[in-house]
Amino acid sequence: MSTAQNYRTINIDTLDPDSPQNFPLPTLLPSTLPPPSTSSAAANTATQVRQLLRSGDATGALRVVLDTAPLGGDEGAKQVHLATVVDVLQGIRQGEMGRVLEGVLVGEGGGERGDCLMKYLYKGMASTGPGSGSQSPRKGISPQSTGFSQVQGRNLGEGGGGQQMSVLLNWHEKLVELAGTGSIVRVMTDRRTV
Amino acid sequence: MLLLDYENILIRSLLTERFSGAPPASIDQIVSDFDGVTFHLSTPESKTKILISINVKCFRELVQYGAQQVLEREYGPYIVAPEPGYDFSVVIDLESLPDDQEAKDDLIMRLALMKRNAMAAPFEKAFDEFAQLAEEASRYTSESAPQGVEEGGEVMTIHYREEEAIYIKASHDRVTVIFSTVFREETDRIFGKVFLQEFVDARRRVLTLQNAPQVLFRNDAPLELAGVPGLQDAGDGKISYITFVLFPRHLTPQRRYETISHIQTFRDYFHYHIKASKAYIHTRMRKRTADFLQVLNRARPENEERERKTASGRTFRVQG
Amino acid sequence: MSQSLRPYLQCVRSSLTAALAISNFASQTSERHNVPEIEAASSPELLLNPLTVSRNENEKVLIEPSVNSVRVSIRIKQADEIEHILVHKFTRFLTMRAESFFILRRKPVKGYDISFLITNFHTEAMLKHKLVDFILQFMEEVDKEISEMKLFLNARARFVAESFLTPFD
Repeated sequence: MSTAQNYRTINIDTLDPDSPQNFPLPTLLPSTLPPPSTSSAAANTATQVRQLLRSGDATGALRVVLDTAPLGGDEGAKQVHLATVVDVLQGIRQGEMGRVLEGVLVGEGGGERGDCLMKYLYKGMASTGPGSGSQSPRKGISPQSTGFSQVQGRNLGEGGGGQQMSVLLNWHEKLVELAGTGSIVRVMTDRRTV
Repeated sequence: MLLLDYENILIRSLLTERFSGAPPASIDQIVSDFDGVTFHLSTPESKTKILISINVKCFRELVQYGAQQVLEREYGPYIVAPEPGYDFSVVIDLESLPDDQEAKDDLIMRLALMKRNAMAAPFEKAFDEFAQLAEEASRYTSESAPQGVEEGGEVMTIHYREEEAIYIKASHDRVTVIFSTVFREETDRIFGKVFLQEFVDARRRVLTLQNAPQVLFRNDAPLELAGVPGLQDAGDGKISYITFVLFPRHLTPQRRYETISHIQTFRDYFHYHIKASKAYIHTRMRKRTADFLQVLNRARPENEERERKTASGRTFRVQG
Repeated sequence: MSQSLRPYLQCVRSSLTAALAISNFASQTSERHNVPEIEAASSPELLLNPLTVSRNENEKVLIEPSVNSVRVSIRIKQADEIEHILVHKFTRFLTMRAESFFILRRKPVKGYDISFLITNFHTEAMLKHKLVDFILQFMEEVDKEISEMKLFLNARARFVAESFLTPFD
């Protein structure tokens, strides 16, 4: 260890293999995890799913995309797959949501699919796309008079990504109705992230 | 109280009391006014002779623009040599007051307006200059006007506060008054911006204000001030320049007294309302916070300890 | 209520309800201590997957659950400079009174305007669904309050400006 570093500032817990800080998280994953996949595999699935969606089989598309979630995939695969799921969700009309969702949740592995969808809903809301995290208020409001009044409703013009969020929020509401709060608990506790 | 008064209330009430025939008493009082102006009211010689002195930060600049003449005009016979530490003094002898009430009230008012009168000098000078330039300009068509007429008079600068100043410039068709003001706090700056925007828009929006002076504001020095020494331009938006363009209709001899008094109060009026808004918003937040607390307390289950009784009506008592 | 506000609040409600399943858990790093694990972050297996609920880029809620505590952070909508300063003032006002708010965190999580820290002791002493109600009501009212303050400011500014300019006429 270099003497330049003040030994008092070293967090010795990180050096101790038995410390709770170094808990081996992978041991929490079940052995049934699907094999690792990459973004190219996810892209293949995406093509297949889009075809189903185009042919009008929304239920089938959603089933496939949720069954093939790359739980063991790398970050690239997960991103591509997320985009596919969001695409499918956006491709389904609001009036059909209930029917499609019921179709997805029945049959073998229906509960799994519900939980998986819930994971994607949260993940979709967490990733606001480029430019997220910038909290700065709109700059460049000209102080010079423009002749327009400053008074305007706050609800005009929603921030970026409002459209997509609104779709996800609607799906979330429907899914909670059908699958219950337990599904959200499983999203929090499941170490197999999507 | 929406608009600020032009006179100093404390001086007015004090003098009203003295002038009303109350038994003479000795006074020694320092009175503050806006913009760091202080007055000293005292009775150094006898109880009937009230000495009123004023201290203005920028008195030297004001004298340069003719303050002494204005004050002499207003207070002629009462003027005495300035009290040490002050810029200008008058003495009022209670035994030789004017007889009728109206003249007395007029004198009281004039004394209470001492700050206004001291500050009025550059405005009066600018208004006179305007009248002169306007007359000159009327002799030329706009193309053939000589250089001097077109450009107007020099810019008069009054550093009435530590970091803030008033700039006055006369032209042949207008008098431009520019206030520079500093916002120390981000909140003040943004509130100020909202207020100033309304000042700018008011004229356009309200039909009855069509004839009001044009108001402009910006964060860098306006063109009129190019070449004026001592301009601060921090560039961080802390300084604002507010321009009032007074048109000939505001400058007529009948209206100039009122116009000068009113425009002087702008800075204090403006800052006063920013502070008042902040205070209001603060009370609002306080109330809203109390509401939130109430909602949160609803989450506490009611677990009040009721006195427990046996079936026969006896109560338990803890043995000491 | 605006079109997309209801599903947003509904989503926060169900997520919070799910996340507030917390129980007593003594620290496993230091004996006889009991700390909110989400803040201590000393044992990764005790932290659960964080949930984000967002309405758009400027309005979102981050829920970070752990075994004995949940951290809820809210980003309040700020469309312009005025709202920004009002939100800032208001949240500061609240956090200065954090003591009486029990669950309020003194400092918001980075990227958010205000944070709450709910531990198992809070859920034991208070009714869970009422706590959720509180946070929901807070979110609704803060928005309303900010708009009202802004409207007030504009109205006052307008009135003040007109009053000052009227005597010139």
